[in-house]
Amino acid sequence: MTLARKGRWTTLVGLVLLAAVYVRALAFTPIERTQGPAQKIYYIHVPAAIWTETAMILVGLASIFFLFLKDARLDSFAEASAEVGTAFATIVLTTGPIWGKPIWGTWWTWDARLTSTLFLFFLYIGYLLLRGAVADPGARARYAAVLGICGMVLVPFIHFSVYLFRTLHPMPIILKPSAPSLPGSMLATWGFSFAVFTVLYVGFVMQRYALARARQEVPHA
Amino acid sequence: MLERLKLAWVVARKDLLLEFRTRTAILSAVVFTALVLTVFNFGRDPTAVPTIDLAPSILWVTFTFAAMLALNRAFALELENHALEGLLVSPLSRTSLYWGKLIANLLFVTIVEAVGLPLFVLFFDVPVWHVLLPLVGVIALATVGFVAVGTLFSAMVIRTRFAELMLPVLVLPFLILPVAWAVQVTARLLAGRPLAEVAWWLRLLGAYDIVFVTLSTLLFPHTVDE
Amino acid sequence: MPETFPHNAGYMIAAYTVAAVILVAYALSLYRRTRGL
Repeated sequence: MTLARKGRWTTLVGLVLLAAVYVRALAFTPIERTQGPAQKIYYIHVPAAIWTETAMILVGLASIFFLFLKDARLDSFAEASAEVGTAFATIVLTTGPIWGKPIWGTWWTWDARLTSTLFLFFLYIGYLLLRGAVADPGARARYAAVLGICGMVLVPFIHFSVYLFRTLHPMPIILKPSAPSLPGSMLATWGFSFAVFTVLYVGFVMQRYALARARQEVPHA
Repeated sequence: MLERLKLAWVVARKDLLLEFRTRTAILSAVVFTALVLTVFNFGRDPTAVPTIDLAPSILWVTFTFAAMLALNRAFALELENHALEGLLVSPLSRTSLYWGKLIANLLFVTIVEAVGLPLFVLFFDVPVWHVLLPLVGVIALATVGFVAVGTLFSAMVIRTRFAELMLPVLVLPFLILPVAWAVQVTARLLAGRPLAEVAWWLRLLGAYDIVFVTLSTLLFPHTVDE
Repeated sequence: MPETFPHNAGYMIAAYTVAAVILVAYALSLYRRTRGL
Protein backbone atom coordinates (compact mmCIF):
# COMPACT_ATOMS: atom_id res chain seq x y z
CA MET A 1 0.00 0.00 0.00
CA THR A 2 1.35 3.39 -0.91
CA LEU A 3 1.95 6.03 1.70
CA ALA A 4 -0.94 8.10 0.40
CA ARG A 5 -3.33 5.18 0.72
CA LYS A 6 -2.12 4.39 4.21
CA GLY A 7 -2.63 8.03 5.01
CA ARG A 8 -6.18 7.95 3.66
CA TRP A 9 -7.03 4.91 5.75
CA THR A 10 -5.46 6.45 8.83
CA THR A 11 -7.47 9.59 8.28
CA LEU A 12 -10.66 7.59 7.85
CA VAL A 13 -10.01 5.75 11.09
CA GLY A 14 -9.32 9.08 12.72
CA LEU A 15 -12.56 10.57 11.51
CA VAL A 16 -14.58 7.57 12.67
CA LEU A 17 -12.92 7.78 16.07
CA LEU A 18 -13.63 11.52 16.06
CA ALA A 19 -17.30 10.71 15.75
CA ALA A 20 -16.91 8.48 18.80
CA VAL A 21 -15.22 11.35 20.66
CA TYR A 22 -18.13 13.59 19.72
CA VAL A 23 -20.65 11.12 21.06
CA ARG A 24 -18.71 10.61 24.25
CA ALA A 25 -18.12 14.30 24.81
CA LEU A 26 -21.59 15.49 23.96
CA ALA A 27 -23.71 12.72 25.46
CA PHE A 28 -21.65 10.82 28.00
CA THR A 29 -19.47 13.41 29.69
CA PRO A 30 -20.86 15.39 32.59
CA ILE A 31 -21.71 19.03 32.09
CA GLU A 32 -19.45 21.39 33.97
CA ARG A 33 -21.61 23.26 36.43
CA THR A 34 -20.27 26.81 36.21
CA GLN A 35 -19.56 26.93 32.50
CA GLY A 36 -22.37 24.79 31.22
CA PRO A 37 -22.38 22.74 28.04
CA ALA A 38 -20.13 25.26 26.24
CA GLN A 39 -17.23 24.04 28.37
CA LYS A 40 -17.23 20.89 26.26
CA ILE A 41 -15.70 22.88 23.41
CA TYR A 42 -12.54 22.41 25.45
CA TYR A 43 -12.28 18.76 24.35
CA ILE A 44 -11.86 19.83 20.75
CA HIS A 45 -10.15 23.18 21.23
CA VAL A 46 -7.23 22.10 23.40
CA PRO A 47 -6.03 19.00 21.51
CA ALA A 48 -6.18 21.04 18.31
CA ALA A 49 -4.12 23.78 19.98
CA ILE A 50 -1.50 21.33 21.20
CA TRP A 51 -1.12 19.89 17.73
CA THR A 52 -1.01 23.33 16.13
CA GLU A 53 2.04 24.12 18.19
CA THR A 54 3.62 20.68 17.92
CA ALA A 55 3.25 20.79 14.14
CA MET A 56 5.16 24.09 14.10
CA ILE A 57 7.94 22.68 16.24
CA LEU A 58 8.17 19.73 13.88
CA VAL A 59 8.37 22.10 10.91
CA GLY A 60 11.26 23.83 12.67
CA LEU A 61 13.09 20.61 13.50
CA ALA A 62 12.65 19.23 10.00
CA SER A 63 13.95 22.54 8.66
CA ILE A 64 17.09 22.41 10.77
CA PHE A 65 17.82 18.85 9.67
CA PHE A 66 17.09 19.79 6.08
CA LEU A 67 19.65 22.59 6.07
CA PHE A 68 22.28 20.19 7.38
CA LEU A 69 21.40 17.05 5.48
CA LYS A 70 19.87 18.55 2.31
CA ASP A 71 17.42 15.63 2.16
CA ALA A 72 14.37 16.66 0.14
CA ARG A 73 12.17 14.35 2.20
CA LEU A 74 12.70 16.58 5.21
CA ASP A 75 11.54 19.55 3.18
CA SER A 76 8.43 17.63 2.11
CA PHE A 77 7.68 16.74 5.71
CA ALA A 78 7.98 20.37 6.74
CA GLU A 79 5.65 21.37 3.92
CA ALA A 80 3.13 18.75 5.04
CA SER A 81 3.30 19.58 8.73
CA ALA A 82 2.85 23.27 7.99
CA GLU A 83 -0.33 22.77 6.00
CA VAL A 84 -1.82 20.40 8.57
CA GLY A 85 -0.81 22.79 11.35
CA THR A 86 -2.65 25.56 9.56
CA ALA A 87 -5.83 23.45 9.42
CA PHE A 88 -5.61 22.77 13.15
CA ALA A 89 -4.89 26.44 13.85
CA THR A 90 -8.11 27.30 12.04
CA ILE A 91 -10.00 24.97 14.37
CA VAL A 92 -8.48 26.63 17.43
CA LEU A 93 -9.17 30.14 16.16
CA THR A 94 -12.80 29.36 15.34
CA THR A 95 -13.75 27.23 18.35
CA GLY A 96 -11.91 29.62 20.67
CA PRO A 97 -14.13 32.64 20.11
CA ILE A 98 -17.24 30.45 20.05
CA TRP A 99 -16.19 29.28 23.49
CA GLY A 100 -15.13 32.71 24.65
CA LYS A 101 -18.41 34.40 23.90
CA PRO A 102 -20.59 32.53 26.42
CA ILE A 103 -17.80 32.10 28.98
CA TRP A 104 -15.97 35.42 28.93
CA GLY A 105 -18.70 37.48 27.33
CA THR A 106 -16.47 38.51 24.45
CA TRP A 107 -15.59 36.94 21.10
CA TRP A 108 -11.89 37.53 21.39
CA THR A 109 -9.70 37.40 24.47
CA TRP A 110 -5.96 37.81 24.51
CA ASP A 111 -5.60 34.68 26.58
CA ALA A 112 -2.53 32.47 26.39
CA ARG A 113 -3.78 29.87 23.99
CA LEU A 114 -5.66 32.07 21.53
CA THR A 115 -2.85 34.62 21.31
CA SER A 116 -0.18 31.98 20.77
CA THR A 117 -2.28 30.25 18.16
CA LEU A 118 -2.91 33.51 16.36
CA PHE A 119 0.83 34.06 16.11
CA LEU A 120 1.31 30.49 14.94
CA PHE A 121 -1.38 31.06 12.34
CA PHE A 122 0.46 34.13 11.00
CA LEU A 123 3.68 32.10 10.92
CA TYR A 124 1.97 29.28 9.06
CA ILE A 125 0.36 31.59 6.53
CA GLY A 126 3.69 33.30 5.94
CA TYR A 127 5.36 29.93 5.48
CA LEU A 128 2.78 28.68 3.00
CA LEU A 129 2.80 31.96 1.08
CA LEU A 130 6.58 31.91 0.86
CA ARG A 131 6.54 28.38 -0.50
CA GLY A 132 4.01 29.46 -3.08
CA ALA A 133 5.97 32.51 -4.12
CA VAL A 134 9.36 30.96 -4.87
CA ALA A 135 9.64 29.35 -8.28
CA ASP A 136 12.95 27.53 -7.97
CA PRO A 137 12.51 24.32 -5.92
CA GLY A 138 15.98 24.48 -4.39
CA ALA A 139 15.54 28.06 -3.26
CA ARG A 140 12.00 27.31 -2.08
CA ALA A 141 13.19 24.53 0.21
CA ARG A 142 16.03 26.61 1.63
CA TYR A 143 13.96 29.73 2.19
CA ALA A 144 11.13 27.76 3.76
CA ALA A 145 13.63 26.09 6.07
CA VAL A 146 15.01 29.47 7.16
CA LEU A 147 11.52 30.73 7.90
CA GLY A 148 10.54 27.49 9.63
CA ILE A 149 13.49 27.68 11.99
CA CYS A 150 12.81 31.33 12.81
CA GLY A 151 9.18 30.43 13.47
CA MET A 152 10.09 27.62 15.81
CA VAL A 153 12.52 29.87 17.72
CA LEU A 154 9.78 32.48 18.08
CA VAL A 155 7.49 30.05 19.92
CA PRO A 156 9.20 30.24 23.36
CA PHE A 157 9.20 34.04 23.10
CA ILE A 158 5.47 33.95 22.45
CA HIS A 159 5.01 31.85 25.56
CA PHE A 160 7.14 34.13 27.71
CA SER A 161 5.25 37.11 26.40
CA VAL A 162 1.90 35.68 27.24
CA TYR A 163 3.12 34.60 30.67
CA LEU A 164 4.39 38.14 31.36
CA PHE A 165 1.16 39.66 30.20
CA ARG A 166 -0.88 37.30 32.35
CA THR A 167 1.06 37.74 35.57
CA LEU A 168 0.71 41.48 35.29
CA HIS A 169 -2.87 41.54 34.04
CA PRO A 170 -4.56 38.62 35.73
CA MET A 171 -7.55 37.41 33.80
CA PRO A 172 -10.84 37.55 35.70
CA ILE A 173 -10.64 34.15 37.30
CA ILE A 174 -14.29 33.35 37.57
CA LEU A 175 -13.61 30.23 35.59
CA LYS A 176 -10.32 28.70 34.57
CA PRO A 177 -10.86 27.23 31.16
CA SER A 178 -7.16 26.91 30.52
CA ALA A 179 -5.98 25.07 33.62
CA PRO A 180 -7.74 21.76 33.87
CA SER A 181 -7.91 19.89 37.07
CA LEU A 182 -10.42 17.63 35.46
CA PRO A 183 -12.23 14.88 37.27
CA GLY A 184 -11.84 11.36 35.90
CA SER A 185 -14.55 11.15 33.31
CA MET A 186 -13.70 14.51 31.76
CA LEU A 187 -10.00 13.72 31.75
CA ALA A 188 -10.72 10.47 29.92
CA THR A 189 -12.73 12.28 27.26
CA TRP A 190 -9.95 14.81 26.85
CA GLY A 191 -7.34 12.06 26.57
CA PHE A 192 -9.43 10.20 24.01
CA SER A 193 -9.85 13.37 21.95
CA PHE A 194 -6.14 14.11 22.08
CA ALA A 195 -5.34 10.60 20.87
CA VAL A 196 -7.76 11.01 17.98
CA PHE A 197 -6.28 14.36 16.99
CA THR A 198 -2.90 12.64 16.97
CA VAL A 199 -4.22 10.00 14.60
CA LEU A 200 -5.68 12.73 12.39
CA TYR A 201 -2.40 14.65 12.34
CA VAL A 202 -0.53 11.52 11.30
CA GLY A 203 -3.07 10.60 8.63
CA PHE A 204 -3.15 14.12 7.20
CA VAL A 205 0.64 14.45 7.17
CA MET A 206 1.08 11.08 5.48
CA GLN A 207 -1.14 12.16 2.61
CA ARG A 208 0.25 15.66 2.31
CA TYR A 209 3.81 14.34 2.46
CA ALA A 210 3.06 11.87 -0.32
CA LEU A 211 1.66 14.73 -2.36
CA ALA A 212 4.76 16.87 -1.76
CA ARG A 213 7.08 14.02 -2.75
CA ALA A 214 5.05 13.31 -5.88
CA ARG A 215 5.36 16.95 -6.94
CA GLN A 216 9.11 16.79 -6.41
CA GLU A 217 9.43 13.78 -8.73
CA VAL A 218 7.63 15.50 -11.55
CA PRO A 219 8.52 19.17 -11.34
CA HIS A 220 5.74 21.15 -12.90
CA ALA A 221 5.25 24.85 -13.47
CA MET B 1 36.07 38.63 14.16
CA LEU B 2 37.47 42.15 13.91
CA GLU B 3 38.22 41.53 10.26
CA ARG B 4 34.61 40.51 9.73
CA LEU B 5 33.35 43.65 11.41
CA LYS B 6 35.62 45.82 9.31
CA LEU B 7 34.35 44.15 6.16
CA ALA B 8 30.80 44.55 7.41
CA TRP B 9 31.40 48.23 7.84
CA VAL B 10 32.68 48.41 4.26
CA VAL B 11 29.43 46.87 3.04
CA ALA B 12 27.41 49.20 5.25
CA ARG B 13 29.32 52.25 4.07
CA LYS B 14 28.66 51.34 0.47
CA ASP B 15 24.94 51.08 1.10
CA LEU B 16 24.80 54.25 3.11
CA LEU B 17 26.84 56.21 0.59
CA LEU B 18 24.52 55.09 -2.20
CA GLU B 19 21.60 56.05 -0.03
CA PHE B 20 22.85 59.48 0.79
CA ARG B 21 23.87 60.35 -2.69
CA THR B 22 20.31 60.10 -3.88
CA ARG B 23 18.69 60.75 -0.52
CA THR B 24 15.30 59.80 -1.88
CA ALA B 25 14.68 56.82 0.39
CA ILE B 26 15.58 58.55 3.61
CA LEU B 27 13.61 61.65 2.68
CA SER B 28 10.57 59.56 1.77
CA ALA B 29 10.79 57.71 5.07
CA VAL B 30 11.08 60.91 7.07
CA VAL B 31 8.22 62.58 5.23
CA PHE B 32 6.16 59.43 5.61
CA THR B 33 6.78 59.42 9.35
CA ALA B 34 5.64 63.00 9.63
CA LEU B 35 2.54 62.19 7.57
CA VAL B 36 1.61 59.23 9.73
CA LEU B 37 1.97 61.28 12.89
CA THR B 38 -0.18 64.01 11.40
CA VAL B 39 -2.90 61.57 10.40
CA PHE B 40 -2.94 60.12 13.90
CA ASN B 41 -3.36 63.59 15.26
CA PHE B 42 -6.45 64.24 13.18
CA GLY B 43 -7.84 60.84 14.00
CA ARG B 44 -8.15 61.35 17.70
CA ASP B 45 -10.31 63.36 20.03
CA PRO B 46 -8.12 64.62 22.86
CA THR B 47 -11.11 65.29 25.03
CA ALA B 48 -12.28 61.70 24.79
CA VAL B 49 -9.01 59.83 25.15
CA PRO B 50 -5.99 61.34 26.86
CA THR B 51 -3.02 61.50 24.51
CA ILE B 52 -0.83 59.65 26.94
CA ASP B 53 -2.95 56.52 26.51
CA LEU B 54 -2.58 56.44 22.76
CA ALA B 55 0.93 57.83 22.58
CA PRO B 56 2.93 54.61 22.87
CA SER B 57 0.91 52.85 20.16
CA ILE B 58 1.11 55.84 17.82
CA LEU B 59 4.84 56.09 18.26
CA TRP B 60 5.42 52.43 17.56
CA VAL B 61 3.07 52.13 14.60
CA THR B 62 4.96 55.04 13.04
CA PHE B 63 8.31 53.43 13.70
CA THR B 64 7.28 50.09 12.27
CA PHE B 65 6.00 51.66 9.06
CA ALA B 66 9.31 53.46 8.69
CA ALA B 67 11.21 50.26 9.35
CA MET B 68 9.27 48.41 6.66
CA LEU B 69 10.17 51.12 4.17
CA ALA B 70 13.82 50.81 5.11
CA LEU B 71 13.87 47.05 4.82
CA ASN B 72 12.18 47.03 1.48
CA ARG B 73 14.91 49.09 -0.11
CA ALA B 74 17.68 47.09 1.53
CA PHE B 75 18.17 44.48 -1.12
CA ALA B 76 16.23 46.02 -3.94
CA LEU B 77 19.21 48.23 -4.52
CA GLU B 78 21.44 45.20 -5.03
CA LEU B 79 19.06 43.42 -7.30
CA GLU B 80 18.76 46.37 -9.64
CA ASN B 81 22.25 46.22 -11.04
CA HIS B 82 22.95 42.56 -10.31
CA ALA B 83 25.23 43.96 -7.68
CA LEU B 84 24.27 41.10 -5.39
CA GLU B 85 25.95 38.54 -7.62
CA GLY B 86 29.07 40.69 -7.60
CA LEU B 87 29.09 40.76 -3.82
CA LEU B 88 28.60 37.02 -3.59
CA VAL B 89 31.42 36.21 -5.98
CA SER B 90 33.80 38.46 -4.08
CA PRO B 91 35.76 36.94 -1.19
CA LEU B 92 33.44 38.72 1.22
CA SER B 93 32.21 36.38 3.95
CA ARG B 94 28.48 35.86 4.29
CA THR B 95 28.63 37.02 7.88
CA SER B 96 30.18 40.32 6.86
CA LEU B 97 27.58 40.74 4.16
CA TYR B 98 24.72 40.19 6.58
CA TRP B 99 26.23 42.38 9.26
CA GLY B 100 26.90 45.09 6.70
CA LYS B 101 23.28 45.05 5.58
CA LEU B 102 22.13 44.96 9.19
CA ILE B 103 24.26 47.96 10.15
CA ALA B 104 23.10 49.92 7.13
CA ASN B 105 19.45 49.14 7.82
CA LEU B 106 19.81 49.96 11.50
CA LEU B 107 21.41 53.30 10.75
CA PHE B 108 18.71 54.08 8.22
CA VAL B 109 15.89 53.23 10.62
CA THR B 110 17.67 55.01 13.48
CA ILE B 111 17.82 58.21 11.50
CA VAL B 112 14.13 57.99 10.75
CA GLU B 113 13.37 57.28 14.40
CA ALA B 114 15.64 60.13 15.49
CA VAL B 115 13.51 62.47 13.41
CA GLY B 116 10.26 60.79 14.34
CA LEU B 117 10.68 60.95 18.09
CA PRO B 118 11.06 64.75 18.35
CA LEU B 119 8.19 65.19 15.89
CA PHE B 120 6.10 62.90 18.04
CA VAL B 121 6.95 64.89 21.17
CA LEU B 122 6.12 68.07 19.30
CA PHE B 123 2.81 66.96 17.79
CA PHE B 124 1.47 65.18 20.83
CA ASP B 125 2.99 67.27 23.57
CA VAL B 126 4.28 64.25 25.40
CA PRO B 127 6.91 64.85 28.09
CA VAL B 128 9.86 62.52 27.52
CA TRP B 129 12.86 64.33 28.95
CA HIS B 130 12.74 62.62 32.30
CA VAL B 131 12.75 59.17 30.71
CA LEU B 132 14.74 59.93 27.58
CA LEU B 133 17.54 57.48 28.27
CA PRO B 134 15.41 54.40 28.98
CA LEU B 135 13.09 55.39 26.15
CA VAL B 136 15.94 55.56 23.66
CA GLY B 137 17.14 52.27 25.12
CA VAL B 138 13.89 50.45 24.51
CA ILE B 139 13.58 51.94 21.04
CA ALA B 140 17.08 50.68 20.25
CA LEU B 141 16.42 47.21 21.63
CA ALA B 142 13.18 46.70 19.76
CA THR B 143 14.58 48.14 16.53
CA VAL B 144 17.57 45.80 16.54
CA GLY B 145 15.22 42.86 17.03
CA PHE B 146 12.92 43.34 14.11
CA VAL B 147 15.53 44.83 11.77
CA ALA B 148 17.70 41.74 12.30
CA VAL B 149 14.90 39.43 11.20
CA GLY B 150 13.74 41.82 8.50
CA THR B 151 17.22 42.01 6.98
CA LEU B 152 17.37 38.22 6.84
CA PHE B 153 13.95 37.95 5.22
CA SER B 154 14.53 40.75 2.73
CA ALA B 155 17.32 38.64 1.26
CA MET B 156 14.75 35.94 0.58
CA VAL B 157 11.83 37.93 -0.67
CA ILE B 158 13.59 39.83 -3.41
CA ARG B 159 13.58 36.66 -5.45
CA THR B 160 9.90 36.01 -4.90
CA ARG B 161 6.90 37.34 -6.71
CA PHE B 162 5.20 40.24 -4.94
CA ALA B 163 8.35 40.97 -2.98
CA GLU B 164 7.07 44.20 -1.45
CA LEU B 165 4.00 42.42 -0.16
CA MET B 166 5.81 39.30 1.03
CA LEU B 167 8.21 41.07 3.36
CA PRO B 168 5.63 42.60 5.73
CA VAL B 169 3.64 39.36 5.74
CA LEU B 170 6.66 37.26 6.68
CA VAL B 171 8.09 39.72 9.18
CA LEU B 172 4.75 40.38 10.90
CA PRO B 173 4.93 37.88 13.81
CA PHE B 174 8.60 38.74 14.40
CA LEU B 175 7.73 42.42 14.42
CA ILE B 176 4.60 42.38 16.56
CA LEU B 177 6.24 40.68 19.49
CA PRO B 178 9.15 43.08 20.18
CA VAL B 179 6.95 46.06 19.32
CA ALA B 180 4.24 44.85 21.71
CA TRP B 181 6.84 44.65 24.48
CA ALA B 182 8.25 48.02 23.53
CA VAL B 183 4.78 49.58 23.66
CA GLN B 184 4.32 48.17 27.17
CA VAL B 185 7.62 49.62 28.27
CA THR B 186 7.00 52.97 26.56
CA ALA B 187 3.58 53.26 28.17
CA ARG B 188 5.01 52.63 31.59
CA LEU B 189 7.92 54.98 31.07
CA LEU B 190 5.68 57.81 29.88
CA ALA B 191 3.39 57.21 32.85
CA GLY B 192 6.31 57.65 35.19
CA ARG B 193 6.39 54.09 36.47
CA PRO B 194 9.60 52.92 38.17
CA LEU B 195 12.16 51.25 35.95
CA ALA B 196 11.97 48.02 37.93
CA GLU B 197 8.51 47.42 36.52
CA VAL B 198 9.79 47.26 32.96
CA ALA B 199 12.89 45.22 33.74
CA TRP B 200 11.31 41.96 32.64
CA TRP B 201 10.36 43.28 29.21
CA LEU B 202 13.76 44.85 28.69
CA ARG B 203 15.41 41.53 29.48
CA LEU B 204 13.05 39.79 27.08
CA LEU B 205 13.88 42.33 24.37
CA GLY B 206 17.59 41.86 25.04
CA ALA B 207 17.26 38.08 24.83
CA TYR B 208 15.23 38.41 21.63
CA ASP B 209 17.93 40.57 20.07
CA ILE B 210 20.75 38.24 20.98
CA VAL B 211 18.87 35.17 19.80
CA PHE B 212 17.64 36.57 16.52
CA VAL B 213 20.78 38.43 15.50
CA THR B 214 22.73 35.22 16.09
CA LEU B 215 20.15 33.08 14.31
CA SER B 216 19.92 35.46 11.36
CA THR B 217 23.70 35.55 11.03
CA LEU B 218 23.76 31.75 10.99
CA LEU B 219 20.88 31.40 8.55
CA PHE B 220 21.81 34.21 6.17
CA PRO B 221 24.19 32.12 4.03
CA HIS B 222 21.28 29.82 3.18
CA THR B 223 19.40 32.70 1.65
CA VAL B 224 22.12 33.64 -0.77
CA ASP B 225 24.02 30.44 -1.47
CA GLU B 226 23.00 27.45 -3.52
CA MET C 1 -31.63 17.25 38.41
CA PRO C 2 -31.36 20.92 39.43
CA GLU C 3 -30.70 23.06 36.35
CA THR C 4 -27.92 25.17 37.82
CA PHE C 5 -25.73 25.49 34.73
CA PRO C 6 -25.96 28.21 32.09
CA HIS C 7 -27.87 27.32 28.95
CA ASN C 8 -25.25 27.75 26.27
CA ALA C 9 -25.51 24.43 24.46
CA GLY C 10 -25.99 26.34 21.20
CA TYR C 11 -22.37 27.46 21.32
CA MET C 12 -21.23 23.94 21.98
CA ILE C 13 -23.11 22.65 18.94
CA ALA C 14 -21.74 25.48 16.82
CA ALA C 15 -18.15 24.83 17.81
CA TYR C 16 -18.38 21.09 17.37
CA THR C 17 -19.97 21.59 13.96
CA VAL C 18 -17.33 24.08 12.81
CA ALA C 19 -14.51 21.78 13.91
CA ALA C 20 -16.06 18.79 12.17
CA VAL C 21 -16.62 20.78 8.98
CA ILE C 22 -12.99 21.94 8.93
CA LEU C 23 -11.61 18.46 9.54
CA VAL C 24 -13.87 16.75 7.00
CA ALA C 25 -13.27 19.48 4.42
CA TYR C 26 -9.52 19.17 4.83
CA ALA C 27 -9.72 15.38 4.65
CA LEU C 28 -11.72 15.64 1.42
CA SER C 29 -9.26 18.18 0.00
CA LEU C 30 -6.39 15.80 0.70
CA TYR C 31 -8.33 12.87 -0.70
CA ARG C 32 -8.97 14.69 -3.97
CA ARG C 33 -5.40 15.89 -4.30
CA THR C 34 -3.80 12.51 -3.56
CA ARG C 35 -6.09 10.45 -5.75
CA GLY C 36 -3.93 8.24 -7.93
CA LEU C 37 -0.98 8.36 -5.57
